Amino acid sequence: VAYFALGSCWNAVAQVRSYYVDWRMLRDVKRRQMAFEYAHERIRINALRKNTILPKELQEIADKEIAALPRDSCPVRIRNRCVLTSRPRGVKRKWRLSRIVFRHLADHNQMSGILRARW
Amino acid sequence: MLFSIYHRAFTGANTLSTCIIRQCEKKDVSDQNETTTKDVKPEVEAKANDGGETQQQGDGKVEQVLSKPSQVKSDGAKSGKEGLLDLLGAMKVEVTNKRKLKNLKTKQSFETSAQYKSKPAAMESTISMFQKATVQASAKSDALDPDIVAAASAAAATLPNQSQAESELLKQLRQRKALTEAQKKGDINNLGDLIADMKVGKKPARQNAWPADQIRFDDDGQGYTHDRGITGELANIRKRRNVFPTKRLNIFSPTTDQQGAKPTLWDMDFANELSLSANQMPRNGFEEMIQWTKEGKLWQYPINNEIGLEDEASVPFHEHVFLEKHLEEGFPRQGPVRHFMELVVAGLSRNPYLTVQQKKEHISWFRDYFHQKKDVLSEADVDLS
Repeated sequence: VAYFALGSCWNAVAQVRSYYVDWRMLRDVKRRQMAFEYAHERIRINALRKNTILPKELQEIADKEIAALPRDSCPVRIRNRCVLTSRPRGVKRKWRLSRIVFRHLADHNQMSGILRARW
Repeated sequence: MLFSIYHRAFTGANTLSTCIIRQCEKKDVSDQNETTTKDVKPEVEAKANDGGETQQQGDGKVEQVLSKPSQVKSDGAKSGKEGLLDLLGAMKVEVTNKRKLKNLKTKQSFETSAQYKSKPAAMESTISMFQKATVQASAKSDALDPDIVAAASAAAATLPNQSQAESELLKQLRQRKALTEAQKKGDINNLGDLIADMKVGKKPARQNAWPADQIRFDDDGQGYTHDRGITGELANIRKRRNVFPTKRLNIFSPTTDQQGAKPTLWDMDFANELSLSANQMPRNGFEEMIQWTKEGKLWQYPINNEIGLEDEASVPFHEHVFLEKHLEEGFPRQGPVRHFMELVVAGLSRNPYLTVQQKKEHISWFRDYFHQKKDVLSEADVDLS
């Protein structure tokens, strides 16, 4: 049996979330990191592909190269999920929250400057 | 802001043109049409043409290659000088906010850059044509970059009143440089001195300025003072624009104690370990935010837009914009590859978000790529000189 000298470090027993909400959120995180890694390469190869100046043979080779890059490196596969609930739809971009969480927080006065609409 | 000026300038000219000098000329021509008067323009053009032609006839050493760019340069430089003169004339203007200052500064730096760019191509002809230029440049190079000074003297040499124009130019350049540096340091007091010779717009006189404790009378004749309490005092204090008075009270003597030796690496390591072992969980929201700021999850306040890029501020702008020198080696001179790379360089010159190092890496990536695909290019009959 092991004891732990708690001391002052356990004064605040807040709920610490050290895991992602679900596996889909984890996969989305991985896609974002990969898109960041390969961003420069992708933009350069696309610049070679999308112009009318270079010869077509070179462009075909560039096509094959970009198709050979890992699939998760393209930014199109990133989905802006809700940060707290991982909801894929109904997410407001500015707050990165889904509409349900947004309403919850706003009604409990946790969002600075957000009021219920009234006019 | 600097690059927004370029954006406005270069959207007119198509990016398919291959010569920057030509682009400068286009911009200067458009400038000319806007700013100079009709009767000055043909005079100036005739003078430039005469000067160029006589030099070509007289100076046998000047090569055919140089003579054309020199004439182009003098043409473009002439109209550039006109624009510059107009700018200088318009310098003594109501300057009421920082943005106008920055715009003026960037406009002027663009004009100097136009001359600077045409300088390398025509430096020999400049020296042969205007011998006084370099002598005068050495006399007035105290704080300015010598390249800028040489460019300014070359610019002034094409004007009628050479020495006066040059001294004016250099004075303005020095002022602008001091202004930028003062702004960078955030030194408000010196900034005031620098802007002292610029006219400042006055606010309209405040109407209806009642004295604070005026006794007002009701209908029944009893007077009352408007009791505002402490809010009035606070409002008055906020109205004063400078909270810190300019004159020192001299109550405390300036600190002269020494910090001691700089904390060594071991001391810092010890302090770090101590903090790690002692405080693990944040006790409140503030400590949590401090922890997040240290980790990099939270921005640092006051918000600094250039938080990772302090070194980039010291990189001069011409390294960002004039990237053709990287195209000299490793790429062919003619052909579709060159055309493509010139477009890439044009795009990079308009990009304010990349560092110079990143731009160079971009270009070197393309160099390696085209080297690898040499055989494909030769198959497609592309010139690989």
